[in-house]
Amino acid sequence: MKKTIAVLNQLRKKGLIKNYAIGGGIATIFYVEPFFTYDLDVFIIPSGTVKKQNLILLSPIYNYLQAKGYKWKGEHILIEGVPVQFIPADEFEKEAVARAKAVEYEGIKTRVLAPEYLVAVLLRAGRKKDLEKIEKLLEQTKIDRRKLGAILRKYGLSKKFDLL
Amino acid sequence: MPGKKASQMKIVMRGNRIITRKELFEKKEKFHREQAKLPFEEKIKILIRLQEIAKSAHKSTSGGKLGVWKIPSKSRSK
Repeated sequence: MKKTIAVLNQLRKKGLIKNYAIGGGIATIFYVEPFFTYDLDVFIIPSGTVKKQNLILLSPIYNYLQAKGYKWKGEHILIEGVPVQFIPADEFEKEAVARAKAVEYEGIKTRVLAPEYLVAVLLRAGRKKDLEKIEKLLEQTKIDRRKLGAILRKYGLSKKFDLL
Repeated sequence: MPGKKASQMKIVMRGNRIITRKELFEKKEKFHREQAKLPFEEKIKILIRLQEIAKSAHKSTSGGKLGVWKIPSKSRSK
């Protein structure tokens, strides 16, 4: 995964994305015990130049990656053996990406959604598997409840959280 | 919800060590919390092992294909 992260950092360095943060199952694993998952979800803030008529063009990123020899596998692009799914961040996720936690993996810098934002992002998605991840996060890692409460209120997720 | 009687049920463990059902579940919880504290790199090694187990189980039951991350052996569990 080290090489995969290096490629993500390259995308940022080359200006193809403004920023990124790992989300989904792998971000959850960062905070809780390991569990089975397959893809690496990466929330990205595309560069201004790829936004056209309110369309987010990911083709510059994919063209760059394909030129480097990375191939598609279903809806993922296989980067150094890891199936990566790029998710262009909406307003809420942009805030989550901006406040992501800087971490190191085998000596290389990367960014993972902070647990409070991760809970909120998963809650909004709301599938059974997302709710299971929230349960693990609430049980196994330190969550700043005040911070989480503020995020949930800001994005209208408080009621949904109370129903958990 | 298990009653008080059930939680006090005694279980004979390896080496004839006796623990209650309540203690057994407390130990399980503790194990999960400790696993959560492993370094990220260790967790990814475990994840790849889980993918390999899932792949072989899936193959033997349905013959279908499930992927395993193909990352360098240094990042894999021994």
